[in-house]
Amino acid sequence: MRWFSARFAAALLIPIAPCGATGRAAPPVADCPTGPGCGPPREAVATDADPYAGMASDPALRGLATASCASATCHGGPRGGNHAVQSFAATTWVNADPHAKAYETLFTARSVRMARLLRIGPPHTERQCLVCHSVQDVSPHPLPRDVLADGVGCASCHGDATEWLEAHSLADWKGRSPADKAAVGFADLSGALERARVCARCHVGDADHDMHHDHVAAGHPRLYFELAQLQRRWPRHWNPHGRAESSPDFNARSWAVGQAVALEAAGTLLEARTARAAKAVRSGAPARWPEYTEFDCQACHRTLATAPVLAAGNPLPRQLPPGTPGWQPWFVTAAGVLDAGLDEPLAGTGADLAARVAALRRLLADEWAAADAARIERIAAEARGVVRVASRTAVTLAAAPDIRVAAAAHRLAPRAATDPRLWRGWDAAAQTTLALEADRRGGPAALGVHHAGDPPGPLDMLRESLLHPAGFDAPVGFDAERFQRQRADVP
Amino acid sequence: MGQVTRHPGTTQRRAAGSPFRPLGAAIVALAVSGAGACGAPPDALPVPQTPPADFTYKGAELCMRCHRSEQSEWCDVATSTAWRHDAHSRAHLALFPANPRTRAMEEALGITAATTASCIACHTHPAAEPAPEEAIPEESNRFLHGGISCETCHGPGSGYFEPHLHANWRFLAAADKARLGMVDLRDPVRKTENCLGCHLGDARTGRVVPHAAYAAGHPPLGAFEVEAASAAMGPHWKRVWEKSERIQGLAATHDYHTEAASTSHRSLIAALVALKRSAFLVQEAAEVAGGTADAAPAVPGSAWPELALYDCQACHHDLVLPSRRQQVGYGGLVPGRPGLVRWPRRLAEAAFAVAEMPTAAEDIISPWVAALNGRPFGHPDDLRSPAGAGNAVARVDAAIAALAAVRRDGSLPARERQIAAVLGTVGERCTDLDGARPVGWVLSEAIRYADGWTAAERDLVRARLDTTLRLGIPGPPPRPDDPSPFWRSSLDAAAAFDPAVATEAFRLPAARPGASTSPRSSPAPQANPLRPVPGAAVPLELPATTVPR
Repeated sequence: MRWFSARFAAALLIPIAPCGATGRAAPPVADCPTGPGCGPPREAVATDADPYAGMASDPALRGLATASCASATCHGGPRGGNHAVQSFAATTWVNADPHAKAYETLFTARSVRMARLLRIGPPHTERQCLVCHSVQDVSPHPLPRDVLADGVGCASCHGDATEWLEAHSLADWKGRSPADKAAVGFADLSGALERARVCARCHVGDADHDMHHDHVAAGHPRLYFELAQLQRRWPRHWNPHGRAESSPDFNARSWAVGQAVALEAAGTLLEARTARAAKAVRSGAPARWPEYTEFDCQACHRTLATAPVLAAGNPLPRQLPPGTPGWQPWFVTAAGVLDAGLDEPLAGTGADLAARVAALRRLLADEWAAADAARIERIAAEARGVVRVASRTAVTLAAAPDIRVAAAAHRLAPRAATDPRLWRGWDAAAQTTLALEADRRGGPAALGVHHAGDPPGPLDMLRESLLHPAGFDAPVGFDAERFQRQRADVP
Repeated sequence: MGQVTRHPGTTQRRAAGSPFRPLGAAIVALAVSGAGACGAPPDALPVPQTPPADFTYKGAELCMRCHRSEQSEWCDVATSTAWRHDAHSRAHLALFPANPRTRAMEEALGITAATTASCIACHTHPAAEPAPEEAIPEESNRFLHGGISCETCHGPGSGYFEPHLHANWRFLAAADKARLGMVDLRDPVRKTENCLGCHLGDARTGRVVPHAAYAAGHPPLGAFEVEAASAAMGPHWKRVWEKSERIQGLAATHDYHTEAASTSHRSLIAALVALKRSAFLVQEAAEVAGGTADAAPAVPGSAWPELALYDCQACHHDLVLPSRRQQVGYGGLVPGRPGLVRWPRRLAEAAFAVAEMPTAAEDIISPWVAALNGRPFGHPDDLRSPAGAGNAVARVDAAIAALAAVRRDGSLPARERQIAAVLGTVGERCTDLDGARPVGWVLSEAIRYADGWTAAERDLVRARLDTTLRLGIPGPPPRPDDPSPFWRSSLDAAAAFDPAVATEAFRLPAARPGASTSPRSSPAPQANPLRPVPGAAVPLELPATTVPR
């Protein structure tokens, strides 16, 4: 079998050199300032006579390089090619998928400035950047630049192909069970639950994919995650038949499962961060707690010139003491309504989740800036509780017979608009809009289709009202009451 | 005098009492009858070698009996009248729910301001704070209704109120007066520490506006420059150099030099004190904080961290691109971490330059910044004794000593010109309004007495600084429910601050050393008197900025 694998790899590698993947692989050196922080890549790229030399000599990398998949006779075929084997997958990815440009992003002026401010090496050499901007996180060893240059490639989501590269090109692969495939490292991404968990690794973060506030302060954008919306906007590179898309409640299920998984991931991340910080405090090492990305951005990041959030005489009860940032307003918004999407509300699942999240937020109101290891560990314990319930909710939702998001969207809406003191407005409003879109838009046929020609409807207007003012990276001037009025116009 | 009532709430503060009680009645009689002749030959006045364990408060009413009129060439300001017009005399009104903002804050925080120690600490007489075990009805707590009055700044009066009626009191050295409990507010260091105790904060004495209070509506404590603020509130004193020649002579013979050479020298000394305080603020909070889960804080309510002791703008800025926060740089701080209060830095750098010890403020605070880099807000253990802090403090103290050693003499106009030139150069580098305003305040003051510019030029500089930096310090709003209180406009100005415009405002016309400062002899205004003449600027040695550009 060994001779076969070498020949197979050679057959895969040779034809792809002139294809799009190779052309794209070279980082845009023109964007790379010649400053001291960014010298090596230009030279290295320019002098590498054979960009695939390293890969060919190291069979271990075959399972990680997109080139292994992107042969014209495999997944690098023409668009609209053989749907049964997704012959167009790599072509779609390289032409239209932003993930293919994840590595290039590390060379933009913004990225280079970030590295300078953070006093780290060039971003394309930093593992902390590469884990989400390339396939680096799949491998414990540093990967050569030609593999990294694929950005978030096939192996990032489908898994290291070393063990299944040959097998999955054979006829009997289709007949294997998901468990058999998983046993060799092939990630099953056919359902919303599996997809959401893979996406959340980077789009929410975990212990190994920790995009923290130092990065944000230096210029990294904030992370958002909502699975239904991402799937609608994302160019699909697979055949929907037999996968999540084929079910009539695809959008609703994606929304509901995505919300539960996002909360599960947010809790896991919080647990990892607090556990790590507590350990560091105990050993006297530098610790990163409080970690500001755990909290509402707008709680702090508003100029003091804007009117105070508090107005005298507001009769509504207060959730958090004044001056305390709330935990993850984006991820907790839907916590209390996830059971509303189910045909038959599952006993206590949603309520449990809401209660758990509320308990965590209450604890964090006291301990969000705790300096003491024991107090930080208390947060980790509470976060574990949220993860447990969110995880159970996600599995339940993924297996539920029928999911409708309409009820959830309508229960979310009042939260978004009634009291900015409770919800700080924008995050909850944006989640409400996304829930409404998941409910009213899309369906399997509309996937990947843009509605550019359609006249803007009330839902478009609602989305429009959430846009940040030009030049701002924050919802400056968001008016919760206006949002509520506009939401009422949505049929 | 004997009927001064002891307030039950302050019983615990009282010690054995004044060592001067037998003398008191006679001295008071003399003073009240006007027989306390000024400038009488100094007699020995008994001063205790060891201070009493504790001094107690007598109340402002006692002081007002004498300090209500222009009594003599020594005390020729109607102190009580001036103070009555001073906003400090009304500070206590913010403790009561008649003020709608106070009512809103009390609701949001679930407190009663008039019985909350951290509110009382800065809004009224220090004796107003009731002992924990004694519940005093608000109406019977006379200190509560006193505002920031005499003893708040000058010290508790039980030790000095009788001796200071003696004709020879004024010939006592400041140190002797301090032994009797009177604070030497003519010393710019002591005065600045006093003012900053509230206007910046002091965790040791619980004088901290907690972040929750700001979130509930407390007005911000912005940049503060002691002398500009003193002038704005209406001084109830005169500097030695403002008094009669005879008094100045007497002061000179008694080596009375604690006042520094001029107002701008006082301001520069104050800026160095403020820089030091901005670092100590966090360090002292670490010292009193309950850092661990079970340890109670030394000062109640001072849980770690207290966000209000850090740079507000570190977090409270719009997320706008391109980000001015990123352009300004982090001064050694890891991006995204709150740092020390920023506003004292640029003026302190000017003070170092004038003291001929050019130093970057970021160098001085680097020991504390290193501790803040260890983790967000720093760990109390790292901040209690930051490595290198002693050396940094010594450098600040050396600069203070150098500035305090300057004597007021004929070279003053030239010195003020030098100071103005330094401030202009430093001001051009300011990147935020709160950092620029102190520099602007002092430049406005220094240039008034500087030679080398015509009166028209000086007025133009002052007017331009005033408009650009909003140097005016308005009093409290006429009505407490004013919908746009005075600080609102300064916050808007801070958000809209344009460093380029400020740089222009700080650009001084070329000085002509030796030119007359008299407006009559000044030449006709030039077409553009503010355009700098190349090569004519006063040579300066300024520290290379450590702020990355």
